Amino acid sequence: MKKISAKRIYLYLIFYLILNSSPIHALDYKAYGFIQPETSVFFNGKGRHGQKNTNLSIFGKGTFISYLQNDDAKFSINILGRYDENDSELRYLDFQKLKYEYFFNELEFKIGNDIIFWGVNETFNIVDIINQSNLAEDLAGTKKLGQTMASLSYSHDYGKFDMYLMSNFQERLFSGGNGRPRLVMEIDKNTVTYESSAKDKKLDFAIRYSTVLDDLDIGLSHFYGNNRAPELKANSSTLKFDPFYSIVSQTGLDIQSTKGSWLYKLESISAKNGSERYFSAAGGIEYTFYGIQNTQSDLGIIIEYIFDDRSNSPLNNDGVIGLRWNKNDIKSTTFLAGLLIDMHGNSTRLQSEFEQRIADDLKLFVDFSINGNINQADFGYQFKEDSKMTVKIAKYF
Amino acid sequence: MKSYIFSFLVLIICNAYAFAMSDEEQGLKIAKDAYDSTRGYVDSTSEQIMILIDPNGNEVIREISGKNFENMDPNDGDKSLIFFNTPKDVEGTVMLSHTHVNDDDDQWLYLPALGRVKRISSSNKSGAFMGSEISFEDFSGLDYRKYDWKYLGEENYENEMCFKLESYPKYKNSGYTKRIGLTDQLLRARKIEYYDRKGDLLKTIYFEDHKLYNESIWFADTFRVVNHQNDNITIYKWKNRLLNIGLNEKDFEKSSLNRLTD
Repeated sequence: MKKISAKRIYLYLIFYLILNSSPIHALDYKAYGFIQPETSVFFNGKGRHGQKNTNLSIFGKGTFISYLQNDDAKFSINILGRYDENDSELRYLDFQKLKYEYFFNELEFKIGNDIIFWGVNETFNIVDIINQSNLAEDLAGTKKLGQTMASLSYSHDYGKFDMYLMSNFQERLFSGGNGRPRLVMEIDKNTVTYESSAKDKKLDFAIRYSTVLDDLDIGLSHFYGNNRAPELKANSSTLKFDPFYSIVSQTGLDIQSTKGSWLYKLESISAKNGSERYFSAAGGIEYTFYGIQNTQSDLGIIIEYIFDDRSNSPLNNDGVIGLRWNKNDIKSTTFLAGLLIDMHGNSTRLQSEFEQRIADDLKLFVDFSINGNINQADFGYQFKEDSKMTVKIAKYF
Repeated sequence: MKSYIFSFLVLIICNAYAFAMSDEEQGLKIAKDAYDSTRGYVDSTSEQIMILIDPNGNEVIREISGKNFENMDPNDGDKSLIFFNTPKDVEGTVMLSHTHVNDDDDQWLYLPALGRVKRISSSNKSGAFMGSEISFEDFSGLDYRKYDWKYLGEENYENEMCFKLESYPKYKNSGYTKRIGLTDQLLRARKIEYYDRKGDLLKTIYFEDHKLYNESIWFADTFRVVNHQNDNITIYKWKNRLLNIGLNEKDFEKSSLNRLTD
């Protein structure tokens, strides 16, 4: 119920802002999107919780942008959603963006939902914290949910300051009982607890300074609010996980140095979560060979490593070796493969993504996620039987 | 009478360039004068259409729009924003470049699906631009500072006397070893032949649809690129080009990308 009323407030806000900021006849907008049927096949038969070995799903996204007041203001909607055959948690709509922005000289003001990305790494984005992760979409946490915020930015020759005040906290989205892959136990959404007495009404706060110094891109950030990652406590009577969201205070630093074909990346955080203080650092290199073998193809090599001083963190001593092949052809053919290695238990997982445009408005994606050796003590052990192939075709409009 | 005056002018111009100069000095002088005649645009916006044609005659169309900001620093390059409109799967992608004369450019890519701005390597200035036969390097191919020059004499092209210039890239990651071009009496490039890293003829760019902007600057509104090795053709057209319209230089910074992007 509370989400519906929040949406109603948005709608009033949108109409108010549009009606007051621009005559309708001058409304200059663009709209585009795509719809994407998907099918997955799992290679190890049924899942360990009896999940099916095939899955159908349909995903879609729509974008609407209107530039108002001679580009001094902008109104954006970006909504995505999915209907999944098996996983009820993957039947959702999310306003990634639903925002009004106003620009005045070096100041920017924004209100509404947005996706804010912080960081430089390809794989281990530890600094990025504003948006909640949608783990039902992707275990790596790269898929996000829109975050409601008001923000104020100030840019100057020496850099840019962004300040965020966030409300309407969203719980992390995990796969449901029939989802695959899923955690060993289901999440009990009725037992969510918070450290903050304001619970999901707590106002979160963040500030970021970013600047460019020649070949260096630098960001320094601080976040204070509900942790996006809950602690999952096993409940022995319900045999489910009870999520607990503590208050986190996290300081982050991200730096990228771009030197010719070499990219050097580093992200680092120091955080206090409840009473626990921890430190994590992740970084790596990327090198690209351009025009390999006298073709237009590029081949990039990515190596990243993550350290976390919490021994119970799933990513505390892990690395990834990736290859990115870009054919640079009319069809924009690319292939990305990454081998994730848990140095702790010698577990490995191979992930790959192939994509190619098959018509002006159609694109084919073929993804593989293949488990190699999985150590029994490893976090990934619960996904051991979930090796899969997914084929997606996006139709753009 | 008209043709007499024209011949006379040609004679004067040729003599001016020929007077006591080495072929290298003369080549540099013509290239510099040609480049200088395209300066002073201050800033510009345009829409661009690319038609990619394969040897079987199959065509695909790509649409982008662009903004440019002139850098008055004689030792540095201009700033540009490229907005990708089609194919639809890249709609909303924006590339910001701070170009440098003989060094790698600074480039950032805004990826709308991730809401992320990525600093990218620009060592591939010679790579295919959106699967076409044109490369990023070619867009600044008339910047005399990027090459060593040599004047090879005059050549008749489409019934006009042109200066024939050979040029060698100074940039270490250039995709070319040599170029041979023709520049007409109005100092407009008419065509340039490009030789690849092995020294073989790679492609020819024909500069067409020359238009006088703001009564002072000639721009070719069509680049026709013919690749002699794979027989692909790219036709690159500029539309609705506007100069000196008062863009804000701050829009060409990484920190402002969110203002202009979807």
